[in-house]
Amino acid sequence: MNENILETKDLHYIYADGAVALKGISIGIKKGKCTAVLGANGAGKSTMFLNFNGIYRPSSGQVLFNGKPIDYSRKGLKELRRKIGMVFQDPDNQLFSASVFQDISFGVVNMKLPEKECRRRVDNAMEQIGITHLRDKPTHSLSFGQKKRVAIAGVLAMEPEVLVLDEPTAGLDPIGVSELMKMLRQIQTTLGITVVISTHDIDIVPLYCDYVFVMYHGMMVLEGTPKQVFTQKETIRDINLRLPRIGHLMEILKYKDDFDLDDSINTISEARIALKDWKARYLKR
Amino acid sequence: MISIDKYAYNSRLRRRDPMQKLVFAMMTLSVCIWAEKIIISIAVIFIMGGMTVLKGGTPFPFFLRLLLVPMIFLLVGVFTIAVNICENQEMLLWAIPFAGKWIGFSDASLVKSLKLFLRALGAVSCLYFLSLNTPMVDLLAAFRRLGMPKVFVELMELVYRFIFSLMETADTIYNAQNCRLGYSSLCSSYRSLAIMASMLFIKSYKQSKALYTALEARGYEGEINVLEEAYESHWGWYIMAVAVNALLVLFVIALKSITGGLS
Repeated sequence: MNENILETKDLHYIYADGAVALKGISIGIKKGKCTAVLGANGAGKSTMFLNFNGIYRPSSGQVLFNGKPIDYSRKGLKELRRKIGMVFQDPDNQLFSASVFQDISFGVVNMKLPEKECRRRVDNAMEQIGITHLRDKPTHSLSFGQKKRVAIAGVLAMEPEVLVLDEPTAGLDPIGVSELMKMLRQIQTTLGITVVISTHDIDIVPLYCDYVFVMYHGMMVLEGTPKQVFTQKETIRDINLRLPRIGHLMEILKYKDDFDLDDSINTISEARIALKDWKARYLKR
Repeated sequence: MISIDKYAYNSRLRRRDPMQKLVFAMMTLSVCIWAEKIIISIAVIFIMGGMTVLKGGTPFPFFLRLLLVPMIFLLVGVFTIAVNICENQEMLLWAIPFAGKWIGFSDASLVKSLKLFLRALGAVSCLYFLSLNTPMVDLLAAFRRLGMPKVFVELMELVYRFIFSLMETADTIYNAQNCRLGYSSLCSSYRSLAIMASMLFIKSYKQSKALYTALEARGYEGEINVLEEAYESHWGWYIMAVAVNALLVLFVIALKSITGGLS
């Protein structure tokens, strides 16, 4: 069974000015999971995302959705963009209306559904994202985090199969980041929507993501579960990324201070268990 | 401008159908201009002010301050009408000699300018009623229903949305320049201002492209279609609008028949 909802095969993309952004990307994004694409600035994450929903056309190679190559006809693209919802990094570039309600309704209305269904979906999306209280507010009075949520609601209202978010946590405060990621996790588990995020916020990856792709200069250099990826310490450091803080701490404790610990641990809760375990062993001695 | 926007969103009349508010304001404005009566102009100012302050909830001092805005232009304009040049001193109430003639105010010119002044203020108060109780979004919905070309309404919507974004960007650039002494002398001020203007243009252009991409991702096909909000709307308001204006019109007619159309 093919469980990849989104696939690329040897995807190349060259910009009109000759800049080569993607150099042969072949990945498979698993259905119903939360996938992260890690990479430093300019690694090609955003370019790849715009290839996913046909805003950009590959210079060579293929993008497959549900096992079928993307149909770039007008009708095909419309269908594709309904199923792959894209949330852009800067909500100010995405929100065009001064009314929160009207902005969220835009995508749904473009799907030409009956008005009643449109209203139901807009209300639903606002509830899922927890922004019902912002309904009557003007867009320009919202905070950055609130705008981000409105942008997500506008895409979620279209009830896509895949939700692609470009740097969803960039510019948010620490509480905002964890709230947003929890919300995305909830959307993914309760609605069964596949979530794809790009980020260079490394610490959120082991906490909220099932699978990671690591990009560097338009190439895919690593992939696997967060645990598998972050054991490739050399590669991670070579491409201007770093380990999760906890992973780094565990590494130092193990190799510099001779603690008998598992250095593939990347989250606080795992570290806590490991340290408690270590304490028990230590006391027994 | 920003505070008008804020009060409009917080108005207690916000949920009322914008079409009804538009009809009421425009009808009253027409009557005020048509009537040319001091008493009617004052009545219109009070009706619109009362509706805005008592029903809408705009603070009275703010409404007064807004009325002061056109006052300067009005006073200057009206002054030129009130002043007459005459060869005969008797025709003027108060005059000073100037180059063998007399400059001053006459009875009729004073009344005329007062009338004009109040008429303009009455008309402005109608527009203030509209803009202090109707957010732009709702007003555009009314325009759309009136059958205004879609392109215009969409443009107005985008302009309104991005004016705030533009101001914010301009503010940020200004602060950044100011921090590096960009406005320390007249010469550098000009230069900084020029750089800011060109930067704003480039940024706007980039943002418009990004916006287009984002709209495309949500199925944009050349037309911005959105759901309309549900408004409070019953016939009572139209009846009120017609009744108030009918009263004003009747009053004008009565006045004209008593005074024989003099004042």
